Amino acid sequence: MSNHQAAGGTPGDRTGRYVRHPNGHVTPMSPFTSIWRWHITMVASILFRVTIGAATVGAILLLGWAAVASNGAEAYNKLAACLASPLGLIVGFGLTLVLFSFLLNGARHLINDFGHGLTVKSANLLSRIAVWGPLVLAVLFWVALFATEKVSL
Amino acid sequence: MSAAPKFKNNVKISERHGAGEWKLEKALLLLLMPLSVWLASTGFTLAGADAAAVGAWFANKLNVGLAIVTALAFFGFAYLAWKVIIEDYVPAPSSRKSLSLVALIVFVVLAAASVFFIVRAAAALAAGA
Repeated sequence: MSNHQAAGGTPGDRTGRYVRHPNGHVTPMSPFTSIWRWHITMVASILFRVTIGAATVGAILLLGWAAVASNGAEAYNKLAACLASPLGLIVGFGLTLVLFSFLLNGARHLINDFGHGLTVKSANLLSRIAVWGPLVLAVLFWVALFATEKVSL
Repeated sequence: MSAAPKFKNNVKISERHGAGEWKLEKALLLLLMPLSVWLASTGFTLAGADAAAVGAWFANKLNVGLAIVTALAFFGFAYLAWKVIIEDYVPAPSSRKSLSLVALIVFVVLAAASVFFIVRAAAALAAGA
């Protein structure tokens, strides 16, 4: 996207243009599309929606876990063997990543909802924690699981 | 919108509803914060566990109760969150309303199924522990 402003009536002038949004809405194009830039707060905000979608899938997986467990010890031990396989461990890592993302990003959202942490500096800090924190916590969680020999490859 | 307008500190109170839904979503998210920490610690406890260990976990009634509360709070929150997402991205009122209804039905079924399976799993495994 070019960063310079075209003068009114010149070929680069975008005033008065209309855009079709992904949801089908046709609206006048924002005059500010050439001056906004990606910011960590946007990443955190979008990642929270992604996290809620992933957490919904994760909750359905946990529901399946309970459903298998409700079929008795024999059925559960078969599932436990699948969970210990490399693919099962990858799914497990994904579940912890989503859980920590839900926790940290949800906390960020709540803090901002209550009117705190809204200065540029603190909003940036909270967003950085919400974006990168889950990865750090999930890795530490699995390092601890391997270190205590609860899981192994 | 038929009631006479009400005022608080000389400011007209909105005749429309909506704040209640937002507050419920936030209250559920707040409730889910400590429950998420509990869920993480549960995941750590039950990682690599066999049926006997899971049965011992289910034998503790506090775990069963917290699992049910977590499932209900999460699916309640997820319904409200998905409803907001649908309202943001689906412009046509008819499909927006029907999709919200589908989401409501799906999440009510998921919430009911989770209570059923948690109780059933506790009965199936805790007895053998």
